Order: sequence, then C-alpha cells, then structure tokens
Amino acid sequence: MTRFVLRRLLELVPTALVIVVASFALVRLAPGSPFSSEREIPPEIRRQLEARYGFDRPLPEQFARYLGNLLRGDLGLSTKYPQRSVNEIIADGFPVTLTLAGVALVWSLVVGITAGIIGAVRQNTVWDHGAMAAALVGISIPSFVLGPVLVLVVSLRWHLLPPAGWGDWRHVILPGLTLGTIYAASIARLTRGGMLEVVRSDYIRTARAKGLSERLVIWRHMLRGGLLPVVSYLGPAIASMLTGSVVVEKIFNIPGIGPYFVDAAFNRDYFLVMGIVVLYAFFLLVMNLLVDVAYGLLDPRIEYS
Amino acid sequence: MPLAIFMGLAAALTLGCRPADTGYFGTTTPRHGPNELWINNGGEPEWLDPNKCADGNGGEIIWNTFAGLVQAHPATLEPMPEIATHWDVSPDRRTYTFHLRPSTWSDGTPLTAHDFVFSFRRLLDPKTASKYATNGHIFKGGAAVSRGEAPPESLGVRAVDDLTLAVELEDPLPYFLSFLTFYSFMPIPRHLLAELDRRGIDESLWTRPEHVVSNGPYRMTEWTFRQRMVFERNPKYWDAAHVKLDRIRVAMVESYTTALTMYAAGEFDWPGSNTSLPAEFMDYLATFKDFRRHPYLASYFYWINTQAPPLDNPRLRRALALAIDRQALVRHVCRGGQIPSADLVPDGVAGYRGLGRPLFDPARARQLLAEAGYASGADVPPITLVYNTSEGHKQVAEAIQQMWKDVLGVTVELENQEWKVFLATAEMHNFQLCRMGWTGDYADPFTFLELLTSACGNNHSTWSDPRYDGLLREANRDPDPAARLAKFREAEAVALEAQPVIPLYTYTRTQLVKPYVRGIWGNHQDRHPWKYIWIDASTPSDTAADPPPPAPGETAS
Repeated sequence: MTRFVLRRLLELVPTALVIVVASFALVRLAPGSPFSSEREIPPEIRRQLEARYGFDRPLPEQFARYLGNLLRGDLGLSTKYPQRSVNEIIADGFPVTLTLAGVALVWSLVVGITAGIIGAVRQNTVWDHGAMAAALVGISIPSFVLGPVLVLVVSLRWHLLPPAGWGDWRHVILPGLTLGTIYAASIARLTRGGMLEVVRSDYIRTARAKGLSERLVIWRHMLRGGLLPVVSYLGPAIASMLTGSVVVEKIFNIPGIGPYFVDAAFNRDYFLVMGIVVLYAFFLLVMNLLVDVAYGLLDPRIEYS
Repeated sequence: MPLAIFMGLAAALTLGCRPADTGYFGTTTPRHGPNELWINNGGEPEWLDPNKCADGNGGEIIWNTFAGLVQAHPATLEPMPEIATHWDVSPDRRTYTFHLRPSTWSDGTPLTAHDFVFSFRRLLDPKTASKYATNGHIFKGGAAVSRGEAPPESLGVRAVDDLTLAVELEDPLPYFLSFLTFYSFMPIPRHLLAELDRRGIDESLWTRPEHVVSNGPYRMTEWTFRQRMVFERNPKYWDAAHVKLDRIRVAMVESYTTALTMYAAGEFDWPGSNTSLPAEFMDYLATFKDFRRHPYLASYFYWINTQAPPLDNPRLRRALALAIDRQALVRHVCRGGQIPSADLVPDGVAGYRGLGRPLFDPARARQLLAEAGYASGADVPPITLVYNTSEGHKQVAEAIQQMWKDVLGVTVELENQEWKVFLATAEMHNFQLCRMGWTGDYADPFTFLELLTSACGNNHSTWSDPRYDGLLREANRDPDPAARLAKFREAEAVALEAQPVIPLYTYTRTQLVKPYVRGIWGNHQDRHPWKYIWIDASTPSDTAADPPPPAPGETAS
C-alpha cells in the first residue's frame, strides 16, 4: 500500500511536467498579447510592460525562469490585475471555490445517498420511483437554469436570501444548492445501482444467513458495496465541482477561481492561466490518487501491487 | 459562446415574471443604511493609479477619490473649477496659468502645484509604462518625453509657486480644459510614493487601502478583491461640505444580468456608470419608470482595409456604405435607441454639426457598384467581415450581410474571432472588413477624427491622405473655434468620400436608477460624480428632472 502510494506520487512528477510544458506552449501559441487593447499602446510603453513581466526574453528562457519560480512556489504576476501576484489571487479565490464546492458536495452526498438508499431498499415502490424521478429531473436541469429559478423564487419573491454576492453564510446556500443538485442526482442513481448490484451477492446472503439484522446488513454490507461506484465517481465529481463552478460563480458573482479559467485565457493573462491550470492539474492528480486508495479501503477484493 | 447563452437563459428566467406592479423594476425603498449608496462597478479595476489607469472600472473610482485642477459639471460636463479656483489663458491659447486653492491630501499633507507637475511628468515617463501616456501628448514636449527622447523634466509644465501651475500646450486645443477633467490628469501624492520607497514597499501598491492617500470627495476604506470596495466621505476634501452621501459601497459584478437581478432585489440602488443593461431585455426594461436612456459619445463602425482587394476600390466601399439601412438596423436589431449615423463624429459634439451623410440610398449604392466596374454584385470577389465574438455584434453583422445581399447582390462572409485574436487581426491589417467601436475621451470632434490620421496606431483602415492630416493639423492650430470646426467638417468630408470606414450608429447608454436616488443626470460621457448624488425616499424622481447644481464659485478669467 505504502509502496503503491509512493510509486504513484513519483509518477506525478513527469505527468505534472508534461502538463506545465504543454499548457505553457498552448498559452503562448495563442495569438494576441496580454497588453493588446482597442487603443494602440506606443511601442516604447509596450516594451516597458513586456520587460516588467520578462516577456521580452526568448521563450525558452522564459520557460526556464517560469519553471524555476514554480518550483519555489512563485506563480508570477498577473497582467490583468497588475497589483496582485497569481499566488495572492489564488490564495484569495481558492478558499471561496473550495467553500462553494464543499457545500455542494455535502448537499449532493446527503441528498444523493439518502435518495439512493431509499430507492434501493424500497425497490420498485412509490418511494423508489419518486426518488429516481426526482434524480432524473435533477440531472436534467442545468445549473444555469436552476440558479436563476432559485434566485427568482427565494430572493426576488420571498426575499429570504441575497441574489448574488459573497460575504456570509446566506450567500453560500443558493449557489451551493445550484452546484450540488446535479451531482446529488447522479449520486442517488449510483448509490441505488451499486446497492442493487450487491444485494444478491454471496457475501450479503452470508451476512443475512449468519442472522444479522436487516439494518446492519444494509448499513454495514450493502451500503459499503453500494458506495463503490459513488467513490469512483466522487474524484472526478469533486474536480468537476471545482473546475465547473465557473457558471455558478458567474451567475452568483462569487469571487472564486472558476471564472479565471475562462477569463484569464481570454485576457492572455499568461501567468494566471498557468497558475490555475497547474493548481487544477495538481488537484486532479491528487484526487485520482485518493480515489484509488479509498477504493482499496472500501473493497477488500482490491489489492495494490 | 455557450456562456453567453447560459447567461441569457439565466436572465430570461429571472426576468420572466414581472415584479410587483409598482411601475418600477424591483424594490422602491432604500434597503441599506441611511445616507449609504450601494452600486456596481462592472468589474475589478486594473489600476487605481490615475497615471496608469486605462479602463472604465478604475476610472470611475479615480474620478470620485481624486480631484483634479478642473471638474466636469455633472449635467453639462462643462469644465468647472476644482483644485484650481481660476486660470489665466495666454492670447495664443497655448499657455494656461492655474491658480490653486489651499487644500490638503486625505492625510493632511498640503496639496501643491508640485503634485500636479509630478503627476504629469510621471504620466509621460516611459518608466511608468502608462497605456494612456498619449493623453499627455497635449503638453509641450509630451510626445518626446513619452518616447524616451527627452527627460520628463523637459515637459512644458512647471510650478511657479506652491499654488500656481503653468502649463504649456503643443497646440491651442479648445478642448484642453474638458480633457483636463480626465482621470489621467489627477495629482499624485508624491510624498506617499517617496515614503513607500523609503520603507522598501513596491510603489505600485500605493493605491491599496492600507496605503492610499487621495484628495477627492471620497476615500477608500476597504478593498476586498473582486468583491467590494467601501468609500467614505473624505473630510479633508476642499468641498466636503457639499458631499452628500456618507458611504458608498461598490460591488464588482461583471455580468449585466446578475447586476440587474441585484438591482431588482434592492442590493444595488443604482447599477453605476460601468454597467449596461442586457440588450435582449431593453424593450421590456424601457417600460419601467426607473429606466433612463441618453446619447453616448461613442460610434459604432466597420473599418475597411483600403489596400485589400476588392475594397481598394473607393466606389465599391461607398456602395457598401450606402446599401446599409441604418434606421432599420437600429430599430430592429440593436433596439437600444441608438442614433443611426453615416458620420464618424457624433452630431452635436462640442458644437460640431455632423455632415449628415445619407443613412441609406440603395439606388445610389447600385449606381456606385456599376461605376466600380461590376455588372452585378455576384461579380464582386469574395469579401469577409470579421467581428469579435459577441451575440450583439453577430446580429448586426448578419443584418448588414443580408442588406448587402438584398441591395447589391454582394455576398459577404462573416467570421467571428475571440477578442485578443481579433485585436491582433485588426492591428496587423489582416482583414478586409472589421467591426470596431470608439468612445470619445473628451467632448471634441478630434477624439474621433484623429482615428483616420496617417500616424494614428488605431487607424486600421491603412487609408492615409496628407490633405486630411494637414486639415486636422491646421484646425488644431486655429485659435478661432468656429473656423476650427469648419476645418474639421472639411476633413471629415474628405475622409468619408474615400470611405475607409463605414459608420453605423452613435451609441446610447441605458440605466436603471431607483426612485429615491437623486442627482444623476444623463450626459454623453456617462459620468456621474458621486459627490452630487443624494438619497431622498420621500419624493420619487421619475424623470431625472433634478435641477442641476450650479457651478461652484469662480470661473475662468
């Protein structure tokens, strides 16, 4: 197990390097410059601006310098927000995105697993059909529809929660629900499917045969089996909650890092794009590793070699 | 772009139901503290440093936290005294001597003419790397300083004494005083920059709230990145007694639809100067009492690359320009009440009478096509029109594409490009036709006419005519304002006869203002100084008919 984790960690290094090289090349190959605007900038001013960021150097030198700074944890300066470093921008925005994703995750797990268990335990009853129909609706409604509907009803009609912004707990609820619901729906279906798959397996029959109560069978054995597909889904789901929060963050004007993924690329904010890509890549790699480890903890049949 | 569609859908859903039927869009009573205004700034500013700022998000903040030599009247935009109480103008109108009132920075340090000299030199110093350094080219020797050919000290700006500032101009520009209200020309607290330097702190951080020192009606007390800024009345401002609101809270909401929702819910009392209303809801929003619309100093047009065949043929260019039904375009496609125009300079800017070129003349357009040597539109070689990706630009381009097809039989391909790619395309003249808009920096025809000069880096048409350049040069040296405008008219006629550009319309600005927010007057630069705004919940203002404030005290001598 330890060897497995160590080996996977070592494998991260070349993967990360490939990601950095590829995204650096892609960002720089895109036409346009961070300093272009509809107003002409005199060449001598542009030279000064480029020198400030080191863009006047040959590309290989810039890359070497970027890599060196990256290893020291310095992600560079933003061109769009010249008074802020990329580190500062991420330090400001990432906790916000994490909070949002955290609320969405808790919401999706609580609702999803509950609905999934109800569906599996009461298979083919009104409960099951109701829960699965709700899940179907949840999967089908995109966040850009759900968000405004929630705003319309909860904020503009009932005046219960603010329609947008960030600051206290009241600002987290609507975007959290908006972001989490689609995942809750998927989790409900996965939980139900996973539990129904193991319900007729030998070890469940054994558990029942040795006289365990139905409750224990469900909680200790069925759910554990039923959650396997959920766990493998959670890795990409969390990653996609973090990266996919762009729409929700735009609708609710949340100062997370989601919108940078799009905006920084449009602005040719080279270091900010790179910073976000590196952060997300790191996150995806670590999440995948965690999923693989969690898999082994949940399913004794899986061995690490 | 999918996101734009998402947001449009989002807005459609949000606005699908009409709020309570008061005749206003959303809440109608203040929801925040007394004497407190919540507005939007449309996004995070790039710089709050007056010399370095080059975007509206920063400009709005600078205008309200700094005070320059002169200020723009909130309704008419006429320049009025601010830090300068009065000024003397030399007979050749090239030298201005400003007499400053005794005043202080927000930290109590006296504000002197040296702070202005420091600022103007710094604006032009290549080391500052200001994207708006060209604004300083109006000063004598400005262009040479910004090119690094002369030291900043050689600039024609000097402090005669602590309260007297002498400014020499390159040309006797009649718009000099109104241009001086622009944010690039605010004073800079050189004592603060020196102190930061002494403490080893990066000078560019001086506008952060923990350091900032300013001299305007408001001072910043909080800046939470991409969330909000809070401003409080600056007791050290020279005219603090007339500043009405105690606190202004500014949010940074980029999405127009989100800002609209927040306005409906009463989170915003006024969406602010930098937020537009989503075009797709304009007809609907125009039915509310809090809706306002006024002309804006900006033109929408298509550049023609006059060296790219077949558009190197001026007759074909003129045929294309005349084949566009601008009335129909504005009424059915743009729908924002824009003013259709075939002229580049908006009519009425600083007394300028527009050329009034025909808005649509299909018969003459067909005739010109024949004169250009094409028996039918089908014979015209392929033409592509490039625009930057946006639903609005796309609709305009598609409508014009159809008009050209219908009137001339000319087929034009459309191509949309992402903004930065589009800018590179325009800059490298790698196009035949491309869409552009231009917002005037100051109320004078020159801010538009300069676009077509040979030396202008923003002239993407590749068209150049020494006669045109000469007329503009002569006009700017002419001390007689009427003669100057006449030369401008002559120059614009020369340019549009060659048709390197196809003007389409003059912009309008639309906004919503809660009935209890007073002191916001429509003007063609959409400038609404916070110091004149007040809150009065007792008498709703439906028509923005508040009496404009008088100009403070002294005027020019």
